[in-house]
Amino acid sequence: MTVPRLAFEAVTKSFGPVQVLKGVSFDVAPGEVHGLLGENGAGKSTLLKILSGVFRPTDGRVLIDGKPVDAHGPVAARRAGIAMIHQELQQVPRLTVAQNMFLGRPLTHLGMIVDHREQERLAAQALRAIDPSIDPSAPIGKLKVAQRQIVEIARALLEDAKLVAMDEPTSSLTPAEFDRLAEIIFDLSARGVSVVYVSHKMDEIFRICSRSSIMRDGQLVGSVDMKETDQKSVVSMMVGRELSQQTHTSFATDQVVLEATNLSSAAKVRDVSLTLHKGEVLGIAGLVGSGRTELLRLIAGADQRSAGDVSIDGKPVALKSPREAIASGIGLVPEERKREGIIPLRSVRNNIALASMSRFAPHGVVNSRALKAVSATTLKETGLRPFAPEREIRRFSGGNQQKAIISRWLAAETRIFLFDEPTRGIDVGAKAEIYALIEKLAQEGKSVIVVSSELPEVIRLSDRVLVMREGQLAAELSGDAITEEAIASHAIPQSPATAAGTPAAPLAN
Amino acid sequence: MSQANAKPDAGFFETVFSRFSVRDAGTLIGLVVIMAVFAILVPGFLSERNLLNILQQSSINACLALGMTLVIISGGIDLSVGPTAALSAVLTATLLVLGVPAPVAIAAGLALGAACGLFNGFMVAIVGLQPFIVTLGTLSTFRALALIYTGGNPVLGIPDSFRAIFNGSLFGIPTPVVIVAVVALIAWGVLKKTPFGEYLLAVGGNEEAAHIAGVPIARTKIAAYVISGTLAALAAMILIGRLGAAEPILGNLWELDAIAAAAIGGASLMGGKGSVVGTILGAIILGAMRNGLTLMNVQSFYQLLATGLIILAAMLIDRATRGRE
Repeated sequence: MTVPRLAFEAVTKSFGPVQVLKGVSFDVAPGEVHGLLGENGAGKSTLLKILSGVFRPTDGRVLIDGKPVDAHGPVAARRAGIAMIHQELQQVPRLTVAQNMFLGRPLTHLGMIVDHREQERLAAQALRAIDPSIDPSAPIGKLKVAQRQIVEIARALLEDAKLVAMDEPTSSLTPAEFDRLAEIIFDLSARGVSVVYVSHKMDEIFRICSRSSIMRDGQLVGSVDMKETDQKSVVSMMVGRELSQQTHTSFATDQVVLEATNLSSAAKVRDVSLTLHKGEVLGIAGLVGSGRTELLRLIAGADQRSAGDVSIDGKPVALKSPREAIASGIGLVPEERKREGIIPLRSVRNNIALASMSRFAPHGVVNSRALKAVSATTLKETGLRPFAPEREIRRFSGGNQQKAIISRWLAAETRIFLFDEPTRGIDVGAKAEIYALIEKLAQEGKSVIVVSSELPEVIRLSDRVLVMREGQLAAELSGDAITEEAIASHAIPQSPATAAGTPAAPLAN
Repeated sequence: MSQANAKPDAGFFETVFSRFSVRDAGTLIGLVVIMAVFAILVPGFLSERNLLNILQQSSINACLALGMTLVIISGGIDLSVGPTAALSAVLTATLLVLGVPAPVAIAAGLALGAACGLFNGFMVAIVGLQPFIVTLGTLSTFRALALIYTGGNPVLGIPDSFRAIFNGSLFGIPTPVVIVAVVALIAWGVLKKTPFGEYLLAVGGNEEAAHIAGVPIARTKIAAYVISGTLAALAAMILIGRLGAAEPILGNLWELDAIAAAAIGGASLMGGKGSVVGTILGAIILGAMRNGLTLMNVQSFYQLLATGLIILAAMLIDRATRGRE
């Protein structure tokens, strides 16, 4: 029997009285790509932090090639051959690719002067194996996220890592970039480097991993061979119950609520026209960078359009600021909750109040009783858990923060909800709740636009789907025509030669 | 619920206590400890007369620190409060000497302070420059204007009628203390009870999110600087009332004391966090400490040392207790 590359032996971790890991044990063989699955709060991040030396286990051991990793701290973990690729890449944007690859242990002449030439030579050598197009002397901030990730992997190779742990590496990658990453991971595996791959996305796990360990509530539910299981049973292992796959119900009417004609922005959006009906859920699909977020921001007043008109209930609106858009009944639930959604130090209630000051303070003083009542009603509607409107919003999970933002717009009596990646960073259970909420909004006669990169999500939610490509509308799909294949074929940019004769050619006009 | 309706008083007290945060309680404990230490070391420290003295000596810094707190909450900083005060002092004093009635002269001084704040706010919120740099620039500019206008000489001969306003007392409490108490009460209400307060905390807490949520970013920031400038001018009125003259160099290093009071009181220089109650307590802590050390005949070098140590201690305690509320 071969010695496993990585072994967790009854790893336990407590913070004070709270036990967040309860005796987790599993192995990863040399060259194995091993998935690590679980809802938010299941203990995956804690386990990764123990692996990367940030935390020390309260009890139990971590072994690399049969040798316990005793030394504590990230440097010791790296020395033991463990490379960690974080979701938020830990790089210094202004430094070059090579400088980042040697961050913390620069090559020097006589221990004094950094040897940039040698660093760049070695960096180039490591990069050649996986992506020769990356220039080691370029500032890393100029690279795309996918490329920056590749730099991290190259750094792991440079350090002769035996094990690479990746925490949700694809959260901001396009499908093509994911394909490239998959190739690199297979390549690592062929070199005998083991990979621990954390992701929420089932199809990725099934495609990349040979085995997976599933965690729930700090415990290992089980390790499964991917060939001998299916998505449904993995999900039920994660959440401890079977999620009912609801079918789509449409509440759309013929009444036009919002109409945009020939919208363009300086940034990405080019000549987009759309109509949104009362009770309708309009999906917007497309690759990352196709201008979907930018389109939403134009409608939300967060960015300024350079051309085009928008009217609501037939009346033209300027939408010069979010404030104006809110007054017209529009509310944006942004993709990056931390950056654009929440005021972290304020309570959930204050976060809700922000958008409705004219309602709660008509005479210049906030009516805290009304605010309390309305926020309680809207939070019950969205199902905040735990129900503590006074608590700082940063203390809630991503899913509950999202519910608070939706409550904000409910309190503001918003009629047009704009969702940008509504379930990004939200676990499977809360995801279903958000879907139900969006459906309920439609049922109540509100109108919804949903931008999402997850095709099953768009298909599940939308009455109609607009596909964007390079800033323009590439297609409009409705009813049975909404399929993953159809969306994907319209979303992917075509080179002029292939586009000419294929059925996937642009539909527009 | 029905109880609260039946007895509105209970609701009121409930509100007051729920508003008094853990952090403010910490600042209060700090003040009590310092007072206790001096009470033991200095006979007569706790006499009514000396306590009023402390409040009076703290009033100018408290006045500035209130404005500073609002600016810091908005995510900014106002280094120009001292020179703003000097400009206002020089203008008001000049008008008074020319025989302009006191209310008009005061209004003109306050308006000039507001104008200085408006300039800072415009540069920060509309032009988009960094608050530290903008107010560093106006720190020198405003000071230079005051010096150039007066030729570096103090404006003397402020009439007694004006001085009487700021040197009097109300029910035995010095007027400056009453003025600053009223300002503090208004500032507390503004921060806790008005949309502007809500917006201020949101803008400083997360500007991008506040924008998406419909907060008027520029207006909110500008208002904070205008208030800071106006309160600097008010502090200047108190000072020239006491001194009877307006020096163009008055208010030197005021900004640092004001920032210190705000920080001791729990304001975060990252923005989005700060407390009116805390700032007032912070100003009194600094005032009490200086008063006590002076009564003990401690050299001013050591007073400076004590100020520095208090600030560092407050920040360390802040760090150690953060996130445990």
